[in-house]
Order: sequence, then structure tokens, then C-alpha cells
Amino acid sequence: MVGFIILAAVMLAGALGVVTLKQPVHAALSLVLTLLALAVTYVTLEAHFLAVIQVIVYAGAIMVLFLFVIMLLNVQGQEPPPHLAWMRPLAYLAALLAAAGIAITAFVDRTPLPTAGQVAALQGGSAEQVGTLLFSHYVLAFQLVGVLLLTGIVGAVSLAQRGNPAAPEGARTRGGAESAAPDRELTHG
Amino acid sequence: MVPTPYYIALSALLLTIGSVGVLTRRSAIMVFLSVELMLNAANLAIVAFARQWSARGVESALSGQAAVFIILAIAAAEVAVGLGILVAIFRNRLSTDVDELSEVRL
Repeated sequence: MVGFIILAAVMLAGALGVVTLKQPVHAALSLVLTLLALAVTYVTLEAHFLAVIQVIVYAGAIMVLFLFVIMLLNVQGQEPPPHLAWMRPLAYLAALLAAAGIAITAFVDRTPLPTAGQVAALQGGSAEQVGTLLFSHYVLAFQLVGVLLLTGIVGAVSLAQRGNPAAPEGARTRGGAESAAPDRELTHG
Repeated sequence: MVPTPYYIALSALLLTIGSVGVLTRRSAIMVFLSVELMLNAANLAIVAFARQWSARGVESALSGQAAVFIILAIAAAEVAVGLGILVAIFRNRLSTDVDELSEVRL
């Protein structure tokens, strides 16, 4: 229980940092802290393979991508106050209510915990066990994820491409709204 | 063994902190970071439920973990496309303020 409280404290501190820190780089590093603490929490939840994946894919690849874009765009911390002044307190209020609601619902539920033997049967959610399930029962979902990742790569490349020679001339100018119209006609006709 | 409701409460707190970030930050990158936080909160809840369901057998528990694995892969694709859109928007407008992007909708 002590370990869980420490992990939860680290995670919540990181999460608050994401929301409150002014500099995007600091916020991103704060999110990395949260994600690493989350990986350790996965270990305590008998999901060792997911913990490793969390560190490699999330804290590694995805956050590096974020930091790349933050530094590429060179965004600084000067965020103007929001247009709608009542938005901020309302957001805090709604968030508190939602958190309290979910937590109360969770604690009201009296389903007994699984026994230690049943949890031990998970074998810590090893790569072998999860992999066997992925490649037998969920093989279609696994293949579809592959297709989705390929689509994502193609989409990201085509979005980030600067002067696309195939695109109409208007697509490269500042007004995105006018250039969208010929594109739409092309795809629908 | 820490009971499942504690994990769910932690997950709820993370989710709501993330949603506050989505609602109050104006830089699109910060909104995106907060969305990632919310996604991870949901993953934590699924993994906690997966352990809870190990009473129903190993397969139903590991199904939850397989679902989180697939969600992680989808999150990677989502981040790649989302950041591509952000870069494209920044290139056109030299700003990532979400309030100035109000015409990016149907």
C-alpha cells in the first residue's frame, strides 16, 4: 500500500505539472514522469509486458516525437488567458465532480478481490502469455492495428510534406479554406 | 495487494486532471499532451480491471492486457497523425492557439 501511495503521488504530481507548467517542454517531461510511474504501476498490477511496452513506446517513442515537434515549432510559454473567463472554474468544478463520481462508484462496488493464486496464474502478464492470446484470439485486431499504423505513417508523411507537387497550387498558399474545395471535388468526382 | 477501487480512483483523478488541461490550455500542443494523459488514465483502469477479472480465468484477464497493447499501438498512430496536423497548421498560421482555429470544423 505504501508503494502504491508513493506511485500515486508521483503520478498526480506529474499530471498536475502537465496541466499547470507554462513551458511545453517542461510539461512534456512532466508527462514522461507520469508515464514512467504508470509503467511501475503496471508491474504491481501483474502486467510486466505492458510495463515494458509503456516505457519503450510511450515514454520513449511517443514523447520523443512530442519533444521533437515542440522544439521544431519553437513554441514558448506565453499563453494568453482564455477568452471565456468562466471556463476555468467551470472546468475545475466539472473535473472534481467527475472524479468524485467515478471514485465513489468504484468504492461502492463490493466485488471481492481475486485470490493470490488466481493472480499468480497470470504469470505477471508475460510477453509469451499476452503474445499467445494476441496471435490466436485477437489476431484480426492485431493485423488491423498493423494496417492502422501503416495508414498513420502515410498520413503523417503526406501531412508534413512541404511542397506536394501533386497538390493544386492553392493548397500551398495561406488560405486553407479555398484550397479545400477543389480537393473535395477531386475525391468525390 | 492493493484493492482495485484505489487504482480506479487514481485513474479517475488522472483522467479529470487531463480533462482540465484540455479545457483550460490554449496551446494545441498542451491540449494534445493532456489528451495523452487521459488516454493513459483509461489504460490504467483497464489494467486494474484485468487483474480484477483474473478470478474468471487467465484468458479474460489477459484479454484486458491485450486490449491495452492494441490501444498503445493506436495511440502511437494517433500521435503521429495529430502531430503531423499540428505541424501543418503551424506552417500555415504560425500559431497553435486553439481559439484561432475555430474554423477547423465541419
